[in-house]
Amino acid sequence: MLNHFEIMTIFSLAVALAFALLSKQRASERALYFLWAFLGFMAVAIGIGWLMYPFSR
Amino acid sequence: MAETQKTAVKSNQPLALFAAVAGWLVPGLGHLLLGKWGKAIGYFVAVASLAVVGLRLRGDVFTSGGDAFGTLGFLADLGAGVFYFLAHTIDAAGPDVSRAAGDYGTRLIATAGVLNLLCVLEAFQIGLHQDRKS
Repeated sequence: MLNHFEIMTIFSLAVALAFALLSKQRASERALYFLWAFLGFMAVAIGIGWLMYPFSR
Repeated sequence: MAETQKTAVKSNQPLALFAAVAGWLVPGLGHLLLGKWGKAIGYFVAVASLAVVGLRLRGDVFTSGGDAFGTLGFLADLGAGVFYFLAHTIDAAGPDVSRAAGDYGTRLIATAGVLNLLCVLEAFQIGLHQDRKS
């Protein structure tokens, strides 16, 4: 069974890939967009997770 | 000039519609038919991974006839095409949203469907504007 982090990583990879293909035309632009979108998804999710941490107990 | 373009777009409508329907049924197939191999593979990988992982996590697959929220979920899930119709084959155990993983699965399946609908729209647009000679 996948843990929450792995599920989030799969989600981020798949959505970043589709968005990069949809929104950019050149391969280099797509690669850069994919990287930024993936890292953005992960950073925002982890950041929100940390912000919510004090309220989890 | 504009009239010529309008006529060309109109004559491409059957091809665009066919690519869109094919792309809805099998994610990426519409782009494949239009000769966009790279995009076809990318879209299939993205949609399939989300849908299969979502189903394996025992996410809920909405059916028609529910409330407004259920109907939206049904439309989103239906967007995944073949993965919607094969949901019970991929995950024979059925949905279980009593655990967090099942709830995440529900979101992944809906995301797969909505992403595929975006790809379908793009395939339709490419089909409309594709030069028939190429």
